[in-house]
Amino acid sequence: MRKSFVLILFFLIAFSGVSFAEPQDDEVLQGRIKEVSKTLRCAVCQSESVWESNATLAIQMRKIVRERLIAGESPEEIRAYFVGRYGDYILLKPRVRGLNRLLWFGPFILLSFGGFFLYKTLRRWASKPARTEPVAFSPIDDAHRRRIEEELRSYNE
Amino acid sequence: MAAFKGWHVLLLVGTLGLLAIFYQGLWGNPNFIPPVIVETPAPEVTGPDLYKGTAVSLSDFRGKVILVNFWASWCQECKLEHKSLLAIKKHYEDDPNFAMFGINYQDKDHLAKDYLQVHGNNFDHIRDLDGRISIDFGVYGVPETFVIDQEGIIRHKQIGPIIGDVYSDMIEKVIDPLLNGTAGIVGTVSSS
Repeated sequence: MRKSFVLILFFLIAFSGVSFAEPQDDEVLQGRIKEVSKTLRCAVCQSESVWESNATLAIQMRKIVRERLIAGESPEEIRAYFVGRYGDYILLKPRVRGLNRLLWFGPFILLSFGGFFLYKTLRRWASKPARTEPVAFSPIDDAHRRRIEEELRSYNE
Repeated sequence: MAAFKGWHVLLLVGTLGLLAIFYQGLWGNPNFIPPVIVETPAPEVTGPDLYKGTAVSLSDFRGKVILVNFWASWCQECKLEHKSLLAIKKHYEDDPNFAMFGINYQDKDHLAKDYLQVHGNNFDHIRDLDGRISIDFGVYGVPETFVIDQEGIIRHKQIGPIIGDVYSDMIEKVIDPLLNGTAGIVGTVSSS
């Protein structure tokens, strides 16, 4: 009985997601760690944030984020610490500066070019005169009309 | 044929420019991330000596050219370069202005010692217990090697093993010029 209790307790702890490696933080601190970690890229993963990754480096980076928050640093100061070591690459959201501006504004510039190009083309098409004049309406000749009327009459009878 | 207008030329130049950027990107190493730490002051790091357990600070060696190599016993590429590291230390054995340290990265104490026992050792090693030293140096993986000048500025970063030409370049183009005072003012980065 005691053995099964210990076993159940072991599995509950093992699969509960509770980590004893990191001290338990209050919700506010956890929220702030999450907020900062979600903006940092796990340097050894593929497009994963430090918050989501379980890579050793990401775990170590989360610890640093936690320590620095407790020490009173702002999220911006913590991000600056990592950028100073890993460069802008470590940020999941590139900063609006230097060549990064191309990433931020490039799509809008291209869209504007495309829109302008489309506008000019459509305007040119609309302003062009039709290539051929419409053919004047040619009424049915009298003989033809008489024949149709006769046929309709015989059909109604 | 309609005449080319200003915005036609602009569109063409923009498109060609983008194509040129994409084309250039095809030939780059997708894993290479330009390090920003070169030409900045080396972080003040302290860690326990692998054998003695006593605290070692890199700042205690200010005034010397310091080679710092990040390695681990589980790292295959580290084995490739290990002989080169032993040779570098031997090359500067009599130079009091040169110091060399290994930083043991994400490893177990006994595995690190076994590794050095098997592959040989002639320089000191610091354990990076919680990965703090590696993050302070902006290390992505091992092996990575940094050369710090007498003023404590990181002057070179080597990503990947020190083998072949990288070995001779490390001695002739990086360490020797720093020791002789003939090094350029711009830091260097190489990847193998």
